[in-house]
Amino acid sequence: MNGTLNGSMNGDAIIKLRNIAKSYWRETLEIPVLQGIDFDIPKGGYYALMGPSGSGKTTLLNLIAGIDRPTGGSLEVCGYELNDLDDDELAAWRNAHVGFIFQNYNLIPVLTAFENVELPLLLTPMSRRERRERVEEVLALVNLEDRMLNYPRQLSGGQEQRVAIARAIVGDPDLLVADEPTGALDHQNAEEVLNLMARLNTDMGKTILVVTHDPKAAHHARFQIHLDKGVFDKTVEVNR
Amino acid sequence: MIILGLFGVVFLGYLAWLTWAAIAYPIPLSYNLRSLWQRKVATVSTAGAIALVVGIFVVVLSLAQGLSKAFVSSGRADQAIVMRSNAQFELNSSIDRGQVRILKVHPLVAKDATGPLVSAEVVVIKIFQKSDGADTNVTVRGLEPTGIRMRSQVKLTQGRWFRPGLSEVVVPRKMQLRFTGMELSRILKMGGRDWEVVGVFDGGGSSFDSEIWSDVVDIQQAYKRESFSSVLARLDTPERFKAFKASVDEDKRLKLDAVSEKAYFTELTKSGDPIRILGNLITLILTVGAIFAAMNTMYASVSGRTKEIGTLRAIGFRRREILASFQWESILLCGLGGIVGAFLALFANGIQTGTTSFQTFSDVSFAFTITPVLMLEGVAFSLVMGLVGGFFPAWRASRIPLAEAMKG
Ligand SMILES: Nc1ncnc2c1ncn2[C@@H]1O[C@H](COP(=O)(O)OP(=O)(O)OP(=O)(O)O)[C@@H](O)[C@H]1O
Ligand SMILES: [Mg+2]
Repeated sequence: MNGTLNGSMNGDAIIKLRNIAKSYWRETLEIPVLQGIDFDIPKGGYYALMGPSGSGKTTLLNLIAGIDRPTGGSLEVCGYELNDLDDDELAAWRNAHVGFIFQNYNLIPVLTAFENVELPLLLTPMSRRERRERVEEVLALVNLEDRMLNYPRQLSGGQEQRVAIARAIVGDPDLLVADEPTGALDHQNAEEVLNLMARLNTDMGKTILVVTHDPKAAHHARFQIHLDKGVFDKTVEVNR
Repeated sequence: MIILGLFGVVFLGYLAWLTWAAIAYPIPLSYNLRSLWQRKVATVSTAGAIALVVGIFVVVLSLAQGLSKAFVSSGRADQAIVMRSNAQFELNSSIDRGQVRILKVHPLVAKDATGPLVSAEVVVIKIFQKSDGADTNVTVRGLEPTGIRMRSQVKLTQGRWFRPGLSEVVVPRKMQLRFTGMELSRILKMGGRDWEVVGVFDGGGSSFDSEIWSDVVDIQQAYKRESFSSVLARLDTPERFKAFKASVDEDKRLKLDAVSEKAYFTELTKSGDPIRILGNLITLILTVGAIFAAMNTMYASVSGRTKEIGTLRAIGFRRREILASFQWESILLCGLGGIVGAFLALFANGIQTGTTSFQTFSDVSFAFTITPVLMLEGVAFSLVMGLVGGFFPAWRASRIPLAEAMKG
């Protein structure tokens, strides 16, 4: 199998990568990290990106999420050719189309759970009242409606990650990207977060791309993509 | 000048943009306030430094203001001081009896029930000891009773005015605070005579708050002077001054010069310049230090919050919103210090002090008056410090490459 999947090279693809390359430069020395990646992910897909440390998983995720730019190739995500967007447009695009979930939650420590979740909405024309309703709605979805006024340090790791998930979905993005979302969680909390993500995929139709080392986490996905030394190794469909 | 104007335009434009940025797509200011609160030690020490500088800034401003009040409120536009040509200051001038007699009957001089409003006066310098033990020159003015009435800002607060021929003096209330042995009925030794303090007056912040007053003839006798130092003459209106001056100039018998009392004291205001310049210099040096302190604190804060910045950017906040947010944080930090500093300056309010006039080499006393306007100026000054000191750290925060910021 090559990098192209299940005939998903069609108009339905939410992520289309064409010959993507990424290199870093140390002075004049080029360090290629990703090479010639061609790849589509269909809308509503749930993909796990796996591979050894240093294989370029985070780098690829950052390109897809509009955090970083490729040194070659083109990528269309959520209907936009990202190479065509300038920095400001890319920021607005991230706000509207991508939800981020990080290994260390990345909540703003001085803001309450409510305020953290509200952040992405501050960039929308929503009124204060609309924001409040929406934030309460998603916090209820992650079962934290009674923790709204708590600061991150007053929450457990699992609760923090659920706040982060609420923040990722509050703007109703099409795509969720997660880099080791369970990496800092114990077994039970990890399970809870994974179930939540599965529900976001099945019930709300979010496309999810998750980078993980954890076989359990990878097992929740419907496809596993293996990356090795910057090229696609194989893609495996998860059997249930 | 053009460069300065250009700079002002850029500055105001930036300020307007910042304000707009805070309203349009705000990273809430509460985020900045709480971030400051989270770094209490750095915040308090930086704000403390700013407070100190702002406090000093306000006190220096009030000093300049106090000094100019001492002189400007001393003079009236409808009164003329007549001195010997080119004398410039009363101490250098001398006028004889004949000249005084001519001036007293001058047709342009105003009159009241008691006669022409003209006071022939003599000024001498006497060394007195201040409360802190240091010797300083004090102006002693001998004047006619009319001279008292011609200074309406001067009010008797205790005792009575001096009477001619009895070696009596009246002293300013403010001087009592700074010199020993000037209480009512105490004896002062001047010109080999004993003088009794029979009254205390308030000069209303004018330079007369720095003078001891007595009868002109008594002073002349004690100091063996035949002549006077100056003649103060009231005119009917300020507009008459020009004509009066011209006629004094023309009169060949007089060889005198007339200056308006107001102009005379405005000239004296310049005696405050050296301390004012020194004060400004000290403030400038401290300000540069405080700006660097604020800059340093903000740099530390930015590098400690790289990941936070990355997260905000990932969520969709643009570089300019990061710039504005950190810029506001720095302004808040310095503004906090500024408010504290403005109130610190209040401790100086009402303090009486003095300085040596560099023109007359005698003591000038004045009060620090901390007005709300001065305090506001101090706070505004702190906001500018925050703007300047915070710019580079905020700029750096907004320039961190996103992929790097995400790594923390
Ligand atoms: N800013 C950078 N400058 C130079 N090299 C970099 C930079 N960022 C990443 N790399 C290199 O790119 C390669 C891929 O890094 P990446 O973070 O994508 O790996 P990863 O698959 O996410 O690894 P891990 O599983 O450990 O998170 C690594 O060899 C790394 O050293
Ligand atoms: Mg990684």
